[in-house]
Amino acid sequence: MAGGAPFPIPTGSVLALAAILFCIGLYGALTKRNLIIVLVSIELMLNAANINLVAFSKLSDKPSLNGQIFSLFTITVAAAEIAVGLALLLAIFRLRKTSEVKDLDVHKW
Amino acid sequence: MSGPLIAFYVISLCILGCAVLMLSFRKVIYMALAIGGVFVGCAAIYLLLGAEFVGVAQILIYAGAITILMMFAIMLTNHEATEPPFQWNARNVASAVGCILLGILILLVIRSTPWPQPDTSVDVNGGNSNPVAIGMALFKQYAIPFELVSLLLIVALVGAVILAQHRKEDE
Amino acid sequence: MVAYAWLVPLLPLVAYIFLLCLGRRAPEGIVTGVSVVLTFLSFLVSVAVFRAVGSNPDQVAAYTFHWLTVGSRSISVGFEVTHLNALMLVVVTLVSTLVLLFSKGYMHHDDRFAVFYQYLNLFVFSMLALVISPNFLQLYIFWEMVGLCSYLLVGFWYFKPEAALAAKKSFIVTRIGDVGLFAGIILLFLASGSFDYNTIFVAAAAHKLTLGWISGQALVTLTAILIFVGAIGKSAQFPLHVWLPDAMEGPTPVSALIHAATMVAAGVYLVARAYPLFQASPAALTTVAWIGGITALLGALIALTQRDIKRVIAYSTISQLGYMMMALGVGAYAYGVFHLMTHAFFKALLFLAAGSVIHAVHTQDLFEMGGLHKKLPLTTWTFLAGALALAGIVPFAGFWSKDDIMSATLQSGHTVLYVFALVAAFCTAFYIFRVFFLTFTGEPRNPAKYENAHEGGWVMNLPLVVLAVLATVGGFFNTPLNGNGLEKYLLADGAVGVTYSENVPLMALSVVIALLGILLAAILYWRPLVKPERLARGFGFLYQLSYRKFFFDEIYGAVVVGGGKVMAAIVDGVDRYIVDAIVKLVGRVVYYLGLGLKYTQTGQVQTYGVVAGFGLFIILAIAMYRVGGVF
Repeated sequence: MAGGAPFPIPTGSVLALAAILFCIGLYGALTKRNLIIVLVSIELMLNAANINLVAFSKLSDKPSLNGQIFSLFTITVAAAEIAVGLALLLAIFRLRKTSEVKDLDVHKW
Repeated sequence: MSGPLIAFYVISLCILGCAVLMLSFRKVIYMALAIGGVFVGCAAIYLLLGAEFVGVAQILIYAGAITILMMFAIMLTNHEATEPPFQWNARNVASAVGCILLGILILLVIRSTPWPQPDTSVDVNGGNSNPVAIGMALFKQYAIPFELVSLLLIVALVGAVILAQHRKEDE
Repeated sequence: MVAYAWLVPLLPLVAYIFLLCLGRRAPEGIVTGVSVVLTFLSFLVSVAVFRAVGSNPDQVAAYTFHWLTVGSRSISVGFEVTHLNALMLVVVTLVSTLVLLFSKGYMHHDDRFAVFYQYLNLFVFSMLALVISPNFLQLYIFWEMVGLCSYLLVGFWYFKPEAALAAKKSFIVTRIGDVGLFAGIILLFLASGSFDYNTIFVAAAAHKLTLGWISGQALVTLTAILIFVGAIGKSAQFPLHVWLPDAMEGPTPVSALIHAATMVAAGVYLVARAYPLFQASPAALTTVAWIGGITALLGALIALTQRDIKRVIAYSTISQLGYMMMALGVGAYAYGVFHLMTHAFFKALLFLAAGSVIHAVHTQDLFEMGGLHKKLPLTTWTFLAGALALAGIVPFAGFWSKDDIMSATLQSGHTVLYVFALVAAFCTAFYIFRVFFLTFTGEPRNPAKYENAHEGGWVMNLPLVVLAVLATVGGFFNTPLNGNGLEKYLLADGAVGVTYSENVPLMALSVVIALLGILLAAILYWRPLVKPERLARGFGFLYQLSYRKFFFDEIYGAVVVGGGKVMAAIVDGVDRYIVDAIVKLVGRVVYYLGLGLKYTQTGQVQTYGVVAGFGLFIILAIAMYRVGGVF
């Protein structure tokens, strides 16, 4: 059984925050027309996941640093992802003169 | 209602507010600003949860670097771009319905799961300050993943440069 | 010494690898030097092994190592030395050394000189390893390797279409025999649980070879005949003899080494090595004897009329291999092996001498030669020694071995086979002296070619002289004069084979027959009393029968190739209209399905995302529903 004074923030609330943030991000990624905003929405989803990681690092019955470390790795990978993503975006923009998702349909039948 | 709990709800409201704002703005540049608010709010949550280092890193990387990078990208491309208002086409409706359903499902799962009582007697930092503890873990236990991530960053950097540079045949 | 017998095949392998490292442009002198020296060393080791085994029969031994385990059965590799293969080692290394030396002159200035020597060294290695193998599996591996080398060397001048075809033919025809051999080996393995000769032979002698579906005696006969089928293919016996004459498209040293002295003798060696198995089955022995006798006669008859000098000698080889098989078949084990040895010497000699002639006049047609004894005195005399040995004139090598075989045949009660052998002996004497007279005596028939003829230098002459000496005196290894030394040596392996006493009247008869053959050749081709053409017309159909090689190629072409084409047409129909139809049906269905489904591919990533998101939701919902307590 866990000891010490109860932590003031309930686990479920933090997770609910992350879940809502994730769904907002998903909605943005699926509906926004601008490629940059789609990327931003994906970042939002990554942040939601990070909140969960950090939350469990503190709010589990066996707290440890692993969650924080993992979220650091996630942040790093996200940084790399956004750099490549934006570079791709620039290249696409130069070639196609557009940054809208619906125009990028070279795989259409 | 303790102090941290009030702070948590306020911050949560800010985050969700910024996120919804981001969805509803028309101009792309405002959207990028709104996302900055979300990132800062997340950092505050981390601090509340006792992850000082991650919180600061979040501000530095997300709120600082990534948001600014987004700005640059927007400026370099079509900075006049605007999003149209919500259109009642099949895909948008389906997205909205799907996201809401998924959200409700996850919330239901969270509600029905018996979460363990957090053990606040354990100091995850092992007596050190949080950055020191994280440094210890990164360079001892996680040395190899750490190096691999650095490799990944280098590759991403080089890749981004190569992708973004001007080439003759593009003209 | 015997424990070092593995050096014998190893040295040519070293030479092969060394030449491989040197590459194609290696200087001719180094290539020849390395090959000849290493093979000669291997010859010296062989002689030492031969002497060691001879002086102390207990030296006969197999050295094996565990290789792998299949199920509960252990398979070993290694080498063995017996009296039989010690003799083979000496013969093979000796002829190889001489041929490698001879090739220096014959292949001089060939673009792929080094490659030729690589192949030859690989062949010598494979052949020696074949001889020294202690079990059927290892033997089969090297059996295929010599086949491969033969293919490479027959097709060495692959830019000549005939050579490429001949290489293919020799490979495919011997392959038919190899299938038999392989089946025989597998049956023996199933029946005895081992590939080792000795295990199998002990089991055969004790009537312990059994399989469920066949009686013990029938199994022994079946496996012996299957192994003999392998020997038929390799040793060019009737009815698979057709590849050997075509194999003469290869360079002449190859013909001398592979298609006269060593590889074709591997079939005879195989039967000799598996002799205990054959002895356990009289039916198999009778088959061997008859096939051998028929081949001896058939080869000699065809050789009578061929125009190509190498083809005559090739048919002669077929015929002589028939003699060896016949000897083994009638139980005269030692004589068959003895003839193998003498034949290796004089046939290699004849081929090399023919090579020397071809090298001098650049043609193989007998009717473009003539009078060459003035230009090629050494070749003439050495060829004469080989011809006398082949014809079986006292005291040349062939006389002793062939007469041993003939008297053994008669004394074992095979009168018909004896008559075959006698007729073949007459033909042999006739055709080889027909070649001799047409080539070396009389007037030059093609002055242009005659003028440029010259001897090939010491590298070509030395092997000729050595082989001529051996062809002259090689028979004395086994004569009544030395108490049948070789026979005693070979039979020391155990109670294999039967010995027969010499029969002076029979010897005299065969010498007279041979002399008659020579006489006939002389009056037709040396001092023509009768024009050969008139004789040929007189015999008409018979002449055509011999000249056309008894129409074997035509018959095989019609039956085997034609049959193959019909089979192929049937299989082709099945493939085209049944298998292909099914495949095409599957393809069509998928194609039209794809044609319909392609409209879902809008290229819009976000649409895909929505679909995937719904999928995720559904899966999660199902999972949660099954867990329960959520809704």
